[in-house]
Amino acid sequence: MFDHANAVEIAGVTKTFGALAAVDSLSLAVPAGSVYGFIGPNGSGKTTTMRMIAGIFYPDCGDIRVFGRPVSGARSDFVAYLPEERGLFRKMEVQALLEFHGELRSGRKVTAEVQAWLERLGLAHCAKKKIETLSKGMSQKVQFIATVVPEPKLLILDEPFTGLDPVSADQIREAVLDMRRRGATVILSTHDMGVAETMCDYIFMIFRGKKVLDGTLDAIQEQYGNDTIRVAVEDGAIPDLPGVEKIRDLGLVQELRISRGCDPQELLRALVAHTRVSSFSVTKPSLHDIFIRIAGPAAEEVKVA
Amino acid sequence: MSIRNKTFIIGLIMAPVLFGGGFLGLALMNAKPDIADRHVGILDRTGKVAALVIQAAQEKNMKELFNKKTGKQESPRYFFETIPVDAQSLDAQRLELSDRVRRGDLFAFLEIGADALHPGEEIEGQDPASQKKAATRRVAFYSNSTGLSDVRYWLADAVDTGLRRARLLQLGVDQKNFHDLLASVPFQPMSLVVRDESTGKIAGAVKKNEGASFGVPLTVMMLLGMIVITGASPMLTSVAEDKSNRVFEMLLGSATPLELMMGKVLAAIGRSVTSSIFYVAGGTFVLYGLAIAGLVPLSLYPWFYIYLLADLMFLCAFAAALGASCGSPQDAQHLAIILLMPVMIPYFLFMPVMSQPNGGVAMALSLFPPFTPMLMLLRQAMPQGVPAWQPWVGLAGTLACTLVLTWAAARIFRVAILMQGKTPKAADLLRWAVRG
Repeated sequence: MFDHANAVEIAGVTKTFGALAAVDSLSLAVPAGSVYGFIGPNGSGKTTTMRMIAGIFYPDCGDIRVFGRPVSGARSDFVAYLPEERGLFRKMEVQALLEFHGELRSGRKVTAEVQAWLERLGLAHCAKKKIETLSKGMSQKVQFIATVVPEPKLLILDEPFTGLDPVSADQIREAVLDMRRRGATVILSTHDMGVAETMCDYIFMIFRGKKVLDGTLDAIQEQYGNDTIRVAVEDGAIPDLPGVEKIRDLGLVQELRISRGCDPQELLRALVAHTRVSSFSVTKPSLHDIFIRIAGPAAEEVKVA
Repeated sequence: MSIRNKTFIIGLIMAPVLFGGGFLGLALMNAKPDIADRHVGILDRTGKVAALVIQAAQEKNMKELFNKKTGKQESPRYFFETIPVDAQSLDAQRLELSDRVRRGDLFAFLEIGADALHPGEEIEGQDPASQKKAATRRVAFYSNSTGLSDVRYWLADAVDTGLRRARLLQLGVDQKNFHDLLASVPFQPMSLVVRDESTGKIAGAVKKNEGASFGVPLTVMMLLGMIVITGASPMLTSVAEDKSNRVFEMLLGSATPLELMMGKVLAAIGRSVTSSIFYVAGGTFVLYGLAIAGLVPLSLYPWFYIYLLADLMFLCAFAAALGASCGSPQDAQHLAIILLMPVMIPYFLFMPVMSQPNGGVAMALSLFPPFTPMLMLLRQAMPQGVPAWQPWVGLAGTLACTLVLTWAAARIFRVAILMQGKTPKAADLLRWAVRG
C-alpha cells in the first residue's frame, strides 16, 4: 500500500510558541523501513517535531507528509506515537487499558495482540493489576505496548528508554528492531548517544529549532574527519602540546582533538618525549563528541546542515 | 463502564438528598416544632392597649396551640407580663428588660409607642426629629432571635388585632361585633373551568393546591439543575486530572483533540441521561401516588430531555475547555464556580420568575441562552405556561450558543491540553478560541 521511498517528508516546517521558534524552517526525509534517531539538547525541538509528524501539533508553515499523505487532524492506525512522559489512566487495569488504546486506534478487538505483547515483555502477571500499582519501568513498558498495538507502519518514540533498567531497555530495543525487520519505520529520540550510534540508520540533530546534523553516522563523522586521538599515558597527564585544541578526560583514556594540519605522528613523538604512552589511536569523533561540539557550552561549530 | 461503579450508584442516591436537603430539613422542623413556652414583656406607652393585645394573643394562642386531629401541642404557649412604664428612665428600663431577655427570663419584649393607637400619616423624613416622632408611632420588638423568627410575625398579628380592637372600643363599638368587623375573608385560588371535549360538559373548577402548583415546577427545574451539575462538575476535575497525569498526550496519538473532548462530553451526557431516567421515573411515580400527576403535562417530558441534553452539552464542553486550561486539579476546584453559574444563577432567580412568569424580565431571562434550559422549563412547568413560540426561540438560541461554545471549547482544549506548568489567562483563552 505504501510504496513511497520516504515514510516521512518534512519541507520547510516552522512551529512557534509565542516568540519562540521551536522548529525553524526544518526539512527532513525519513526513508521507509529505517530507524531514524533524533538527538539534540533539551528544548531544542525534538518533541515538537515528533508531535507535528504525529499530527498532534500543526506547523505554522511548511508541509509534512507521512507515507505521501499530508498530515491532518485525522488519525490512522499505521502511525503510533509514544510520548516521553508516562500518561496512562492510573485506575485502569493493564489489560483493559491496553485493549482500550488498541481499539481506539484500530477500531477492532486487539485482545490476542495485547496478551502476546504482555507475554513478550514479561508483564503477563500484571494483566489484572491497576496501572497505579506498577513500577515506573513497568508503566513505561505498558505504555510502549499501548503504542505498538496494533502494529503501526510508522513508530514515533520520544525517549523510549528513559527510566528503564538494562534488561527492560534491551527488551524494548529488541521489540523495536524486530518491528523494523517486519517493515516498520521507526523515529526515536534519545539522549543516549550509544543508542543513537548502535540502533539508528540515520541520525538527525536539531539545535535551537534548526537542523544541524542529518545523515548516517559514517557520513556525519566523515564531516569532522580523523581529528580525534585516543591516548593512554602514564599518570593520565597530557602536557600542553602544539596542535591540540581540546583534551577530554575519559578516565583511563584521554581524547584529544587536534587542529587541521596537525600531524598525529608529530604529536605522538611529542608525547613520547614527555611521558610513557601505553596506547595511541587516531579515530573519528564519537557522536557524543560531535554533540558536545555543537551544543556544548563552547558550541563553536554550529552550522545549519 | 463509568455507570457500573459504586461512585455512580452512591451519587445517584446522594444527589437528591443533598439538593433536597433544605426541603428535608424544613419538613423535619415542621414535624418537630419548638414548643417551649414564650414569656413576653409588654411596655405599653399608650397605657390603653396592653390588655387588649394580651387578650387577642391568648385567643390566637388557644386556637393554634393544639393539633385539632391529634390533640398534640404544636405551637408554643405564650405568657405575657405587663411592665409599668418608667417614663423618667426609659433607656435604663429597656436595658434592664434586655438583660432579662439575655438571661432567658423573657423571650422578648414589646414597646408599644405612645402614638401607636392613632399613628396617622406615615412619616417619611429621615431627620432626627422625624425619626423620633416615627418611633412613637410604632411597636418595637426586642429579642435575641433573628429577623426571620416566627415569634415576631406571630406577635405582629396579635398586636395588630389588639390595636384595632382598642380603636373600635374608642369608637363605642360593642365587643360582640369585633369578630364580624375584623374577620378576614378566605381568598381561594381555583383552577380554570374547562369543557370536557368528549362529553361536552363543563367541568367544575377545583381548589388549587398552591403548594403543589408552586412546588412541582420548582422541583422540575431543580431536578434538571441537579442532573446537569452532577454531570458537568466531575468533567472539570476529570479533564484537569487527566491533563496533569499527561494522559492526553498518549491519547492524542490515537484520536484528535475534538474526538477526545467529545468522547468525554458524550460519556458525561450518557451518565447523566442514565441517572435522569431513574429520577424522572421516580418523580412520575410519586406524582401519580400523590394524585397530582396532572400538574406536569406530558408535553413537558420531551422538553425536559431536550433542555437536559442542550444544557449538558453546553456545560460539559465548557468544563472540558476550563479543565484543559487548568495548571493543576486544584485550579479546577477554583474554576468550578464559573462553570456552575449558568445553573446557579437561575436557581437564585426562581422567585421573581415564578411570581411573574410571563413578565418581561422572566421572558428575557428565560430567552438568555445559558439560562434558557432552567428558566424556560420552570415557566413551562407552571400552570399558566408560556406562549408557544418562546420555547422554540429559546431552544434555537440555546442550540446556537451550545454549538458556538463547543466549537470554541474544542479550540481551547486543543491548544491548552498539552500545556504544562502554565495557567492561561482569560485573554489567552479568548485568543485560542478565536484563532485556534
